[in-house]
Amino acid sequence: MITGTGITKTFRQRGGVLGAREVPALRGVDFTIPKCGAVSFIGESGCGKTTLGRIIAGLETYDAGEIVIDGVAMSSLSHRRRQPYFRRIQLIHQDPYSALNPTRTIHQALAAPLALRARQTGRPRSWTDERARELLGLVGLDPDYVLPRYPHQLSGGMRQRVVIARALTVDPEVLVADEAVSMIDVSLRLGVLALLKDLRERLGVSVLFITHDVATARYIGTDGELYVIYRGQVVERGPVETVISAPVHPYTQALLSAIPVLHGLESPGEQRVVPLEASGEHPDGCLFAPRCPFRTERCENERPTLGPAPGQEGGTPQEHACFHPERRSVVAVPVSGR
Amino acid sequence: MAPEQSPPGVRIRGLTVAYRTPAGELPAVCGVDLDLAPGTITGVVGESGSGKSTLALSLLNAVQPPGRIAAGSVEIDGLGDVVALGGEGLRRARGRHVGYVFQAAQNSLNPLKTVGKQVLDLGRSHGVADLRGLLADARGLLDRMGLDGARVLDSYQHELSGGMRQRVGIMLALVLNARLVVLDEPTTALDMITQATILRIVREVHAERGLTTLVITHDLGVVAEVADRLAVMYGGRIVEQGPTRQVLAEPRHPYTRGLLRAIPRLVGDIAEARALPGRPPTLADIPADGCVFRERCPLRMDACETGSPPVVTRGSRSAACHAVRDDEGDRPAVAATTGEDQS
Repeated sequence: MITGTGITKTFRQRGGVLGAREVPALRGVDFTIPKCGAVSFIGESGCGKTTLGRIIAGLETYDAGEIVIDGVAMSSLSHRRRQPYFRRIQLIHQDPYSALNPTRTIHQALAAPLALRARQTGRPRSWTDERARELLGLVGLDPDYVLPRYPHQLSGGMRQRVVIARALTVDPEVLVADEAVSMIDVSLRLGVLALLKDLRERLGVSVLFITHDVATARYIGTDGELYVIYRGQVVERGPVETVISAPVHPYTQALLSAIPVLHGLESPGEQRVVPLEASGEHPDGCLFAPRCPFRTERCENERPTLGPAPGQEGGTPQEHACFHPERRSVVAVPVSGR
Repeated sequence: MAPEQSPPGVRIRGLTVAYRTPAGELPAVCGVDLDLAPGTITGVVGESGSGKSTLALSLLNAVQPPGRIAAGSVEIDGLGDVVALGGEGLRRARGRHVGYVFQAAQNSLNPLKTVGKQVLDLGRSHGVADLRGLLADARGLLDRMGLDGARVLDSYQHELSGGMRQRVGIMLALVLNARLVVLDEPTTALDMITQATILRIVREVHAERGLTTLVITHDLGVVAEVADRLAVMYGGRIVEQGPTRQVLAEPRHPYTRGLLRAIPRLVGDIAEARALPGRPPTLADIPADGCVFRERCPLRMDACETGSPPVVTRGSRSAACHAVRDDEGDRPAVAATTGEDQS
């Protein structure tokens, strides 16, 4: 299990005519990734979701906060001692075309990390070939076909499966999938999503899914948790199905409202929320206030923090950061009789 | 303001575009017939390698070597057959008659010039006498799309967000009063909310200026939001077309059915979503004979192996598939295997 508390990160841009500029990427984010769980970070580009994923994978530093992996606080360890912990968390990139070395066959791509793994665990060298075939089988590829080939000879979907197989070489506990299907053909996307879901069930790995597409997050696990991130702050959090069917925060509602409606199959949600063009900045106010159609004076002067949503009974709690929480049905509904 | 005449219609007939490769000339688009009715938005949906972008470029007769239009015609009202056009006549037609919004408009802007300067370049290359008026039009269009037009005209592309650049791309396609507009993947790489905004703008500008619009995309959702008619492409062929809502509500071609099923939705049983088996063909492995979809088709039969599947037309809809029967009312083969979508 991995927990994070108060993760804060500010990027400093130097130079430029105005001198140094500080860009807050994360403003005190708390999260929990349970064992075998499915957690999704949702938000627009620039909201900090990718930075948070990289921090969790140990690829990025943070300014404040604490990450605890299996009960061990990372701040208590030296950089070196931290490495074995972060190795359990493997990142799957968005672009399977650039994640694989074009001059190496799939066999070579898998053999290198497996040889390392064999040394670490005192296994014979012959184990690597056997394991490579096993992993490719696990991700739904035919080892005889794939192993001798170069990345350019495979489709996007096959390449992303190879990338997942490579991540599995180090026996990770968490797979961090950052927009892992957005560059794959529509008809093949679901196959990769189904694979991630399947790995959760068969290997017990957790999946941290980072995306702007809520529907794909739902496919990874309807039992999962959804974190909606806006400008570095978690504005709503809760069980996937609850957040989708009964969102409380206007930003979540705007995101869900923006998903195209398949007219003919579905009709638009009755209370769709269209955000305003951003106007003005409120340094101390709610981050979403400049675009919020429901903002009041309070929103411009005070920043809401994450708290329990109204009208809940038991179960995993839904939380939000809004002064005027109101459930709205914004998601498209199937046309009746279908 | 929009000129007086009615929007142009487009008739594409038997269009074949081939690319020269070491393995010989291979067709990326093969015998495509498609009508764009005046004043409508048509959406073409396809995966990578389906030939959709090649089809779009054909409207400008702008297919680059090693590709060439090998056969067929693209008849545009007020312009004639663009396949027969060349040289200066073709150059003038691009921009004036046909506006093109490129995929990732962010990469089609000149990084060294302000947007305003690029509008002036466009005006000069088309011999516009009233350049001041052209800038005013550009500003008006940008204002209309919810931007501060004056500021955007003074900006370089790196000072604009993805959604703003996309709007600049639309402005550049419309500022010479083109009435036929092609948008190639207009929302790829944009966020959900920005995508929704751009699609709303496309719809509104289309109606206000009286355009004929073609939208090329891999995303059925995009077409569902904007298009009156939908054409589904696979392996260089149009496999199904018709009014968008009808096609989505009752897809006939097995590929359209599979594609719809492969999209995870926000409501309903998530387990109903299914991936299509196999993978889309590339230029090198599009079957030369028989149905291009048969390798992945659940309804494959002997007839699919040779020849092209017949185009079955019913009313305003058509599908190219042996399993879609000509007789009215039912679709026995298709209905039997999917067991749903009966109305």
